[in-house]
Amino acid sequence: MAMSGRIAPSQANPAQPGASLRLRRLANHLGLFLVLLVLWETGSRLGWLDPLFYPRPSAILRSFWLVYFENANIWWHLYVSLGLVLAGFTAGSILGVGLGAVVGLNPLVRRYLQPYVIVLEATPRIAVAPLLIAALGFGAQSKIAIIMLVCFFAPFINTLSGVMNVPAEKLELFRSLRATKWQTLRKLVLPDAVPVIMAGERLALTAALSGVLVAEFIQRDQGIGSLILVYTRNLNMASAFACIFTLTIIGFGIFKGMELLDRWIAFWKHQDGRERVSAARARAHAEEA
Amino acid sequence: MKMLRMMAATTALATALVPLALSAQDLTEVRMINPLPRSTNFFPLVVGEALGYFEEEGVKVDLLPSDTSIPYVAFLQNGQADLAMLDPFETINALDAGAEINTVFEVMQNAPEGIGVPAGSSVQSMADLVGTTVGLVSDRDRAFLQAAMAAEGVSIDDVKTVVLGEAGPTLAAAMRDGNVSAIAGAAPDWIVLIANGIDTRLITPQSLLASPANTFSMAVSEIEAKREAVTGFLRAWCKGMHVATVNRDAVAEMLRQTVPEEWEIEEAGQLYLDMSIGMNVSVTEQCGQPQADVWTAIQPRMVESGGIAAARDVATFLNDSFIAAINDFDRAEVEAEAAAWFEANK
Repeated sequence: MAMSGRIAPSQANPAQPGASLRLRRLANHLGLFLVLLVLWETGSRLGWLDPLFYPRPSAILRSFWLVYFENANIWWHLYVSLGLVLAGFTAGSILGVGLGAVVGLNPLVRRYLQPYVIVLEATPRIAVAPLLIAALGFGAQSKIAIIMLVCFFAPFINTLSGVMNVPAEKLELFRSLRATKWQTLRKLVLPDAVPVIMAGERLALTAALSGVLVAEFIQRDQGIGSLILVYTRNLNMASAFACIFTLTIIGFGIFKGMELLDRWIAFWKHQDGRERVSAARARAHAEEA
Repeated sequence: MKMLRMMAATTALATALVPLALSAQDLTEVRMINPLPRSTNFFPLVVGEALGYFEEEGVKVDLLPSDTSIPYVAFLQNGQADLAMLDPFETINALDAGAEINTVFEVMQNAPEGIGVPAGSSVQSMADLVGTTVGLVSDRDRAFLQAAMAAEGVSIDDVKTVVLGEAGPTLAAAMRDGNVSAIAGAAPDWIVLIANGIDTRLITPQSLLASPANTFSMAVSEIEAKREAVTGFLRAWCKGMHVATVNRDAVAEMLRQTVPEEWEIEEAGQLYLDMSIGMNVSVTEQCGQPQADVWTAIQPRMVESGGIAAARDVATFLNDSFIAAINDFDRAEVEAEAAAWFEANK
């Protein structure tokens, strides 16, 4: 039931490749990427690719220079959009994780609340967005609400799944040790659910990027979504692509960042994390001694 | 010592911020809902802001650019917007739906809407479109297509319509590849196509060209409460409009600086500005004057096309009580200020 995306938190730890192997793999990726760019550029120059839809990579590169340095008009829009992403993601996560935990821990709440949450998820957000704007008014609040709606479900469902799937024998052990409900939650349920929750958070943060675009396509005052609209409306596809690739790079960075955060928070699920924390604790003990 | 320095810095910052906060408080917010963010299309706003006319009038402009799926008039009614940019169909239909609004200013007195076909198309008139598929840039354009078809004795039911959306590539591909026989859209759509080498010819019936479009409407209940601020807003808008008639180069430079995304391709920016000046500069003697005779003349056509249910007495919704005050400014002074700005910024 948990949504873990393509990359599930690693339960087993595969052997880490050596530095030279990692470099070789990176070089292969870069090489493949360059070949694709050359093919794209050649295809565009030879007229195989429709310039209306696929501007030349060289033109996109020039647009990167324009929007970031010469005109420098992307910075403000990026700042606005990323601020909204952060606010919407935080609100959606708090709501998703909080509600997921409550629903997971309380069968009565689960029975009555879960169907509504699933119905909410099934409702297309793009259709609800204009209504949200009408209800909440113009400005950041309605955009944040849209993003929150978009990224709420993954943390909710993953928290629910994590909380409900704690191994029965561990629960039995805590019961036999006469652990209180709070101790069980703090020492067993939450730590056990954290890796699954983190997988949900990873999906939520990348979904928040799509959410901000939906919000800015409707409420077009500022933000990277409104900038993309201006560029596509004016058929300036190279600059539109520069904005879109910016979002792709940010999305990739966010995903990788969340992976690192996951390794840091749920350190006990990864060998290197366990080693790192063990070493830190050993140092602390040694200093105390 | 460190603490002392921090306190001094905080005091200095607070002292610097107080006048800013006070001056921000002195400005009255005017919230305007329209389809576009700051754009060449509505250059009077950009020019007015560049020359500080809105602030001079004590107005802070809060632009609420939104997709046309949003019912603009609802935002006048619930008080979230002070001015809404509506076309004649939206105005009459809103009045029919019970919205108590007045049209106080005509932003564009020549309809920017039109019906375009590829330059080499055999289609010469609306009648030639019968039995074909016509693309709409947005749902808003359906009413205009209806009126255009009716103006030449055919019906919108005689064609199949498809909403193409505002994305340039979709419109360009549809026009270039002949996926649709014509597109109902607005002037900026044609400019973008022409600037990108896709020649387009307009077949808009002549009778529809002289039609107010993009008017400013206000909720009747807010007119007196907001009169001063809206007067200031409209006067600043008119000053911006006036600059384009005397110093086009200054306007182009202001737009280059404010909306560089529309000017990355200089030729496209220039074309866009030319078209926008043609649409924005009022044809009436007074800037933004609501034209009762034009509204009276266009309504029967709107009824005939099925776009509105019945014609309305224009006296019930056209309100020209702002016009004298907003046109009361020194044109020579505006010209001098625009010239000085250009000299300092070119």
